Amino acid sequence: MTVLVTGATGFVGGPLVESLLAQGTRDLRVVARKGARRERLDAAVSRHPEARVQRIDANLSAPADAARAVEGVDVIYHLAASMRGAPADMFLNTVVASQYLLDGLRGRKARIVLVSSFSVYGVAELPRGALVDESTPLEAHPQRRDPYAYVKLRQERLFRDHAARHPLELVVVRPGVIYGPGGSPFSSRVGLNMFGLFLGLGGRNILPLTYVDNCADAIVAAGRAPQAAGETYNVVDDDLPTCDAYLQAYKKQVRPMRSVPVPYPVLALLSRGLERYHAWSHGQLPAIFTPYKSASTWGGNRFDNSKLKAVGWRPRIATEEGMRRTFAWLREQTPAGH
Amino acid sequence: MSQKAPLKVALVGCGKIADGHVEEIRKMPARAEVAAVCDRELLMAEQMATRYSIPAYYDSYERMLETERPDVVHITTPPQSHVPLTRAALDAGCHVYVEKPFTLSYADSKALIEHAEKAGKKLTIGYTFMFDPPALEMRRLLAEGAIGDVVRVESWFGYGLGGQFGAAIMADPAHWVHALPGKLFHNNIDHLFNKLTEFIDDEEPRIRADAWCRRQQRFGDRRDDMHDELRITVLGKRTSAYGTFTAHVKPTAHFVRVYGEKNIMHVDYTTRTVTLEPGATLPSAIGRLVPAFGQALQFLREGRRNAAAFARGDFHFFSGLNRLIAMFYDCISADAPLPISTRDILRISLWMDRVFAQISPEKSR
Repeated sequence: MTVLVTGATGFVGGPLVESLLAQGTRDLRVVARKGARRERLDAAVSRHPEARVQRIDANLSAPADAARAVEGVDVIYHLAASMRGAPADMFLNTVVASQYLLDGLRGRKARIVLVSSFSVYGVAELPRGALVDESTPLEAHPQRRDPYAYVKLRQERLFRDHAARHPLELVVVRPGVIYGPGGSPFSSRVGLNMFGLFLGLGGRNILPLTYVDNCADAIVAAGRAPQAAGETYNVVDDDLPTCDAYLQAYKKQVRPMRSVPVPYPVLALLSRGLERYHAWSHGQLPAIFTPYKSASTWGGNRFDNSKLKAVGWRPRIATEEGMRRTFAWLREQTPAGH
Repeated sequence: MSQKAPLKVALVGCGKIADGHVEEIRKMPARAEVAAVCDRELLMAEQMATRYSIPAYYDSYERMLETERPDVVHITTPPQSHVPLTRAALDAGCHVYVEKPFTLSYADSKALIEHAEKAGKKLTIGYTFMFDPPALEMRRLLAEGAIGDVVRVESWFGYGLGGQFGAAIMADPAHWVHALPGKLFHNNIDHLFNKLTEFIDDEEPRIRADAWCRRQQRFGDRRDDMHDELRITVLGKRTSAYGTFTAHVKPTAHFVRVYGEKNIMHVDYTTRTVTLEPGATLPSAIGRLVPAFGQALQFLREGRRNAAAFARGDFHFFSGLNRLIAMFYDCISADAPLPISTRDILRISLWMDRVFAQISPEKSR
């Protein structure tokens, strides 16, 4: 059985390959672009000399490359996605690339594990503190959210539409905030850095963290569980901190940093003002805050992982230990004097 | 502007720059409305239509032209497809806005402009910086005689290979930029030349180009053939110029310096400031002391002007694009002269040919 991993050089890619190899995958193909950073991937592969790992340099937004990548594979862990950039580029590299991947299968039977995101949930109108599980409705107004949410939502729909017409076993995995050494220190859920000042926007909201190795395990667990076909799984660890607690721990363990807490009512007011200003000025400043976006990101939800646990997943690294490792790594990256 | 119905606009090529076009067109609802978008990849057309609530989208250009019968077509595809798409739009009775670079060669550009003239339709090209606020201010000062007769011009265009577009080019040997005759320069040096045409009247000035590759990273494929530094000199009969394209100098600057018989003008497209060299008009040490204050006052004045524009909500990134589109639509509605003459489009196309003929990929290795 040949397993393909796209996005293998990405943040989750290395640990995912490690997790797959550790759990007995012997025939692996990974998409690793020339020029991409491959250290984590190479390290994972070198620890498992018993496995046959084929690295291919493929641009998935080119149909021929995508077809070459999926040729002969039985299982696809589809991690490749564009996280930033212009909306059209993100869409091309995520949704269109996915379409080419599916086209490359030519209707052949396969199992696809799609790594999606919490951002697909329509949480703007949920009450504060509401529990989000896999049955929570999807975002109904993607154009009111950021391009990433729109792109991931459209990507999920693409796979579901394809699965409805072809012999495709689709497993959708929706991780929360993936963190760990090599990742970025702050999700926007915690806050944003504006002109050198950190705005703490998350406050007492629960930060839905998943440590990168736990997340990789979760993707593999869902990918390998027979009963997961056609199912969706949230990925979030246990014993989660609040956004404030995470920020304080960062300041203590990585570096001191000036931050200003912005209470939600203030943010809501600011968002209304910025949305109006954006409309009046025809987009002179970007509408990074709108009431809808703010409610979606900072409204404060809790996320449920019980469905994932039902397929046997448990977080290997406790949150406290995950944060300790992450902050230790971040501290190493911080130049002296900061 | 006349009270006619808004022009019906269609756009082909739903990549990144298309967003800018649609956003600017939507700011002028009395002049035009975007009726449909097209991309050979239907999903790309769909995302554009979804994000901007555009009523129709297509993956067949012919079908879009036939069904929608637009007045104007904006072509925002990679340059390799500009000739066939423009011809088809002209044949369908549309006026056409083509993104730069116009075509791949002077011969193609010439044939395309003749085609438009034969069809009796208007053409323009995305030389938006010609209509950016600093360019307008520069022309006002020139008309006032602020620097006297122009002797030389310097045109500088900095580029960041680490930016979104640069990163996309570097990540993909199959990127269309690598297939252009002038590669990275082909997609950018219109912006060096379109600032010179108003100063150099010659049809074919003497052009000398030197290009090289400074970056160290090597891929072992066609990406290695791409130069990233370029120096051009343009010798006209009355005025001469030199241009720089650089992918390494930081900050990534974008300016024109106009050297006159009376003064030197610095036109900065990044900071949107236009300033004159102060020059020493007073004797001895005083003459060296005062100019810095004069310069500071000029920047203060420019900053104040920009702040006023910002307060009015008139300080947008795509100012020049907006103005060019508006002028183009007005020239269609009122049958007025084109915002950019076809002669200038052709001259730039010819000058670009001359540059690319002088630089060889071997030098970049």
